[in-house]
Amino acid sequence: MELGFTEDERRFRAEVRRTLIEQVPERIRQAVREEKPLPRAWMVEAQRILNRNGYAVPHWPIAWGGRDWSAVKRAILAEEIDRAGVPKPLPFNVALIGPVIAAFGSEAQKRRFLPPIANLDLWFCQGFSEPGAGSDLASLRMAAVREGDHYRVSGQKIWTTYAHKADWIFCLVRTGQGGRKHEGISFLLIDLRTPGIEIRPIRTIDGYHHLNEVFFDDVRVPVENLVGEEGKGWDYARYLLGQERTSMGNVGFSRRRLDRVRELAGPLLDDPGYRRRLTWAEIELKALEITQMRVVANERPPSAGPDPKTSILKVKGGELLQTAAGLLLDALGPEALTAGFPQAAAEEPFQGHDARSALVSAYFSSRKYSIFGGANEIQRNILAKAVLGLGKAA
Amino acid sequence: MNFEPDEEQRLLAASVARLFEDHGAQPSADPVRQWRDYRDMGLLGLPFAEANGGHGGRFEDVMLVMEAYGRALGQVPYPAVALLAGRLLEAAGGPTAQALLAEMIAGTKRVALALYEPGRRYRWDDPATAAECDGEGWTLTGAKIAVLGADRETVLLCPATTAEGLRLLAVPAGTAGVAMEMLPTPDGRQAANVRCDDARIPAAAEIGDPARNPALIAAAVDGAIAAACAEMVGAMERLLGLTVDYLGVRRQFGVAIGSFQALQHRAADMLMAIEQARSMTIHAVAMLDAPAAERTVAVAAAKALVNRSSRFVGQQAIQLHGGMGLTAEYPAGRYFQRLTVLENLFGDTGHHLDIVERAGV
Ligand SMILES: Cc1cc2nc3c(=O)[nH]c(=O)nc-3n(C[C@H](O)[C@H](O)[C@H](O)COP(=O)(O)OP(=O)(O)OC[C@H]3O[C@@H](n4cnc5c(N)ncnc54)[C@H](O)[C@@H]3O)c2cc1C
Repeated sequence: MELGFTEDERRFRAEVRRTLIEQVPERIRQAVREEKPLPRAWMVEAQRILNRNGYAVPHWPIAWGGRDWSAVKRAILAEEIDRAGVPKPLPFNVALIGPVIAAFGSEAQKRRFLPPIANLDLWFCQGFSEPGAGSDLASLRMAAVREGDHYRVSGQKIWTTYAHKADWIFCLVRTGQGGRKHEGISFLLIDLRTPGIEIRPIRTIDGYHHLNEVFFDDVRVPVENLVGEEGKGWDYARYLLGQERTSMGNVGFSRRRLDRVRELAGPLLDDPGYRRRLTWAEIELKALEITQMRVVANERPPSAGPDPKTSILKVKGGELLQTAAGLLLDALGPEALTAGFPQAAAEEPFQGHDARSALVSAYFSSRKYSIFGGANEIQRNILAKAVLGLGKAA
Repeated sequence: MNFEPDEEQRLLAASVARLFEDHGAQPSADPVRQWRDYRDMGLLGLPFAEANGGHGGRFEDVMLVMEAYGRALGQVPYPAVALLAGRLLEAAGGPTAQALLAEMIAGTKRVALALYEPGRRYRWDDPATAAECDGEGWTLTGAKIAVLGADRETVLLCPATTAEGLRLLAVPAGTAGVAMEMLPTPDGRQAANVRCDDARIPAAAEIGDPARNPALIAAAVDGAIAAACAEMVGAMERLLGLTVDYLGVRRQFGVAIGSFQALQHRAADMLMAIEQARSMTIHAVAMLDAPAAERTVAVAAAKALVNRSSRFVGQQAIQLHGGMGLTAEYPAGRYFQRLTVLENLFGDTGHHLDIVERAGV
């Protein structure tokens, strides 16, 4: 046992912190700390800086830019990125599609996609969910029918984060009928400029535009954009979900939010009721930090699928972000009402009447942490079944 | 005890429900039209004595109206104008206040109470806004925030510190030296931040007097809190209804998601939270005429509990709707936004728990 960080890990943390603060412009880090939505160009700028330093895709195969850092080091890196207010490397690129292409893609796909994905020269979004397929993802219906050297794709995706900023979308599509519903699913990469694709914005209760519906009307997709084998899409999706878990708990992000609480709460910090809520949040964060490291240190091959214990990180990490958002909202008092709130009609990234307005939005948007990527109820089902063995198999 | 509305109250509740739902269904609401509808239905004068031009209604009636308003997500600033500022005017009395109240009831003038200031959270009794008298009138300087119900034609009731104590000045928003910024609130309405720089206010614009003002304002705010609690109960009730409907129609894994026991229990928890909130709202309304100290504790206890219920019900409604709950278009999100604003209004949970604790309960 080695219950604390090693000397080497500590040095690594210090070096990462120094590099991030030196290289990522303060304007970007301040906007992230204030939780303002970033212009696309700033996100690209930040990811290129990370990539230059080997920080964007350390978990990828070394041939494609990965580093042979331990999972603990990668977790330290993820935490420091969040703490420093550096935008996370785009998760759709680096945590989801990159590893799938690296593991199952053709050589041509690897060469074509992996370098620009790492550098955010190419922006991918995730087309999994459909109106009828949320928690029950395997019931998806978007159809891809093969005709010679291409597929014809028709159907709809929904809740697609950043589709309006993306260049490409990776989709689960149905290429076969019959059998169990997990069968007949394939994994396709689709250029969003292809004719027949329409992207419609979905406004959310935080006042912003992050989400979209994406409609596919007889869209021609070259067969070379199929990842791996036809009908194996569900396996790849499971592999993808078993990927990079080192920042699942969002420890660095919660740290940053709680720091912000201390900055803004002023006299409330002397209020015993408020103080106690904050103290509990700090204790929860410490526990989460260590639980995160325990899950991370227990490295398992991605082929083993997701570690059911990562559900603990997902639930507890999300709840802590929600708690911290509630503390921030309450810290604003009546000033939350007229801090300015983004108007549903505005198209431009809303920078807010003052820095507090973004925090009001953050309270509303933080409800998402218990919904996306497997809602908390689904995570609890996993824990009850896969870990505790209750009920039938998941 | 009898918690059932009488025949007249049932009629009132039914007709305001019709009106508010009707307003809610209008795609582009005309606030002037809607305000006239409120007047024509007698709502602007509802809580005021007949001697003051009102309809002599009781606060129980107001409670029914506000529940309906909450259910329908009312947009016009009825609670801020009639139930807070209007009731303050009536309690203050005197020619200036009476004239303003008459115009408010007639629907020709809006009034709003400018209670809060930057950096002072929910404290209103020692404003940094100050007024000086020079024989002919007042010179007013200071900032107010989050004034609900105000627009550029509103008469603002501004508490201000003077040498003699807390004075209350009626300041038309158009007065020279008054700058008003209209800002969108998180529930899609508008509220004002106001700055007064040496604004000249005639001596006759004073309402109440320094000896009585703190008590008058406290009573008016307590009434407004009880009204907000009723609004929150109405909004929560509708939100639970929407959620239960959704649990019945949304299918995943081949079944309605309402068949999952985890979600059934959550909905049952929401129901319990709402019923407890309703009970505390009734308690607050019943105590509005009690001596000030008892009234304040009852109202604070009610707001604390209704707030807690509201946070739970609002968050869980979103949760049970999945992604749908986060969309701006779908009504569940709008109820959550409204509840979040109301939770904040007139004091958050911590503020009201403090009041109850200080009273030694
Ligand atoms: C902000 C945000 C961003 C997103 N980004 C993307 C994206 O980029 N790409 C993408 O493909 N998807 C994205 N999603 C979709 C997300 O993955 C889905 O919202 C999620 O899978 C839940 O599906 P649903 O919204 O259809 O809810 P539903 O599945 O309809 O769930 C509704 C409620 O029922 C509960 N429930 C469902 N099944 C069970 C069960 N068996 N037992 C108990 N309770 C159950 C859920 O927990 C939830 O509370 C995003 C969602 C959000 C909110």
